[in-house]
Amino acid sequence: MKAKSAPEKIGHFRREVLITGFGGQGIVLAGNILGRAASLGDHRESTLTQSYGPEARGGACSAQVIISDATIHYPYVRNPDIVVCMSQGGFDKFAPLLRQGGTLIIDQDLVQPGKIGSDQVFSVPATRFAEEMGRKMMANIVMLGFLTAVTESVTVQAALRTVEASVPKGTEQMNIKAFNKGYDFGLATLKGRRKKAAGVKGVK
Amino acid sequence: MSDLKIVLFMCNWNPHAAFQTLQDDCADLPPQVRMVRIPCTGRISKSLLLRAFEMGADGVALVGCEAGSCRYGSGTAVAERNVEDTRGILDLLGLGKQRLQWATFLPEQAEDLLNFLKNFYAEILTIGQSPVLPTSHRGSAAMTREAAMRLMTSHDVFACQDCGKCSSACPLSLAGKPFSPRAMANTIAGGDLESLSMHEDIWSCLTCGICYDRCPSAVDFPEFIRDLRKVQRAGGKTGREAHGGFFQSLMRTMTSPDLRIEHWKWLPKDIQTDSHSKVLFFGGCAPYFDTYFRHHLGIKTRDVLVDALRLLNFFDIFPALLQEERCCGHDLLWTGDEENFLKLAKLNVAAIQDLGIEEVVTACPECYRTLSKDYAELGLRFDFRVTHLFDLAEQEIDKGAIGFAPLHRNITFQDPCRLARLNCASPVDASLPRKLIQRLQPQAFVEMQDRGISSLCCGNCAWTGCDAYTKALQVKRLRQARETGSDLLVTACPKCQIHLKCAMEDLFLGSDLKMEMQDLTTILAQNIRWE
Repeated sequence: MKAKSAPEKIGHFRREVLITGFGGQGIVLAGNILGRAASLGDHRESTLTQSYGPEARGGACSAQVIISDATIHYPYVRNPDIVVCMSQGGFDKFAPLLRQGGTLIIDQDLVQPGKIGSDQVFSVPATRFAEEMGRKMMANIVMLGFLTAVTESVTVQAALRTVEASVPKGTEQMNIKAFNKGYDFGLATLKGRRKKAAGVKGVK
Repeated sequence: MSDLKIVLFMCNWNPHAAFQTLQDDCADLPPQVRMVRIPCTGRISKSLLLRAFEMGADGVALVGCEAGSCRYGSGTAVAERNVEDTRGILDLLGLGKQRLQWATFLPEQAEDLLNFLKNFYAEILTIGQSPVLPTSHRGSAAMTREAAMRLMTSHDVFACQDCGKCSSACPLSLAGKPFSPRAMANTIAGGDLESLSMHEDIWSCLTCGICYDRCPSAVDFPEFIRDLRKVQRAGGKTGREAHGGFFQSLMRTMTSPDLRIEHWKWLPKDIQTDSHSKVLFFGGCAPYFDTYFRHHLGIKTRDVLVDALRLLNFFDIFPALLQEERCCGHDLLWTGDEENFLKLAKLNVAAIQDLGIEEVVTACPECYRTLSKDYAELGLRFDFRVTHLFDLAEQEIDKGAIGFAPLHRNITFQDPCRLARLNCASPVDASLPRKLIQRLQPQAFVEMQDRGISSLCCGNCAWTGCDAYTKALQVKRLRQARETGSDLLVTACPKCQIHLKCAMEDLFLGSDLKMEMQDLTTILAQNIRWE
């Protein structure tokens, strides 16, 4: 899978994305930015449904985004193409829903994946990166950057613009930095996988 | 073409007897050949051979005695080695190694000598005149009190409070040399400009910059020394140039614009470069160092350039190279020859601009400092930015998905002064190489007693002032390195390697000081992996 800016096959594009984690990690905001970037930025259809209730106060919560070129008739995610897990509870509950061949993205330091069916697994130390940049709460934005790089869900331009417009005033530059950190890490990860697949390890 | 200049250095003994026979016979010696009679070819050092070319010789022949017939035993072997090394340098310079030839004759071989000289003349005639323009000679104006005072004022040396913090940190003072930055400031303020001790002090300073770091009045002593040297040089005075001034000669030779330098022709074929790239890799003088020290220290600083390029290739950066790359001029600048420094700088800047380069990457601390700071400060204008390889590598590695094979070594680090102190601008400072070392995750990383911004100089700078005190300083530094219990001394400057290696060759102390050395660039390149 490549980090492409926009898919070529108009009319066939459809992504179901499920983002999950603890309440307070900004899961819903991440889903919100993703969906708005797809609709307002990339001019596609998108829907967002989110879990309310007790989970939004500390348990496993989730945001479900569908992005499509065609009208979306049913807004709930049934067979997600992409599952993003930022907590173990979220992983246990939602990872099994991932469709065959789908992409699983986990926070490296928060989720122990154990044995998992899909070979498209990416782990990213999003929370650690955010901490290193001074704000743990930006982990969702780092994750969003990574997701933008490794999946074809939204274009990077749309995602960046939406991040800028969605975060609290005064923190835009910081969040853009966080997004780019995740995005660069995503590109580097893809590059590393390409190199390894081509048999390149070290310098020679 | 009769104005060719061919210098014939001829040994007093065997070949000169043959030459006299030719003179007695009124043989038709090519008039362009000018004979210089010398006591032994072994005493014609590499610097003397190169100096002839610097001064505009089109060809140089060193003619001595056959192996075994040298009156002093080792002269022939030394001369052969010197010629071989200098020919290597001429090759890199694009002058052509055939301009320097070595031959031996017995007293009765007059006819052979005549043939040799005729053939040599014919060969030089086909190659043509040397493109080297002799550089201007030094002036003879003595340093005036006004000039000295102007420098004192412009560098704010009068702010010196005579507190002595510089002397207590100066590595030369600590090595026992009667040398002190503040004492110098006092002496110059007192009007003593011409005394021998003053001259000695001006040319002994290592310009390592530790005094500037410690000075509470922020007197930039290294730059003051640099300008004092400029004034002294204008007055015809220079310091004790190491290696007979070979490297200063080399740099002045490079100021000739018509020289077709071949800086990179030795490069391994597996290195990928792209002549249309907007990124240029500036190598530095390592190929010359390796050629010069081939028989002496056996150093391989050229490999650092190869490793730097491999590292760039690993990051999918395929840089352009400047075939006619010249020395950045650092050593000329720091030995007071600003005039020739500027010639080099202008040629380099013009060549880089012609390629449309946006970013120049270098792995050499001196090139980095000179290109990024001194070029602009001395009035050169250009559009490219200068990046140190470590900075670029850190940024690339920080993106992620890159790791390192485990490094089963106990290492310590020798800070180059131009990286740790004299750049003084984040991100290129003493912390940058340490960040990379932490990423390498060596078995152990133990710092030396004097480290980072306080680190000790490798003992020499700009190929000048090498003496017993600087040797003592190197010994002290290597002892510190050994005390850490490390088995690998990591450096980041080719000159640190050369100078410390030289101290390790000490016959009496060598075995106590020996330590494997590697450049950080090499270690990074050897261990970097995609994860």
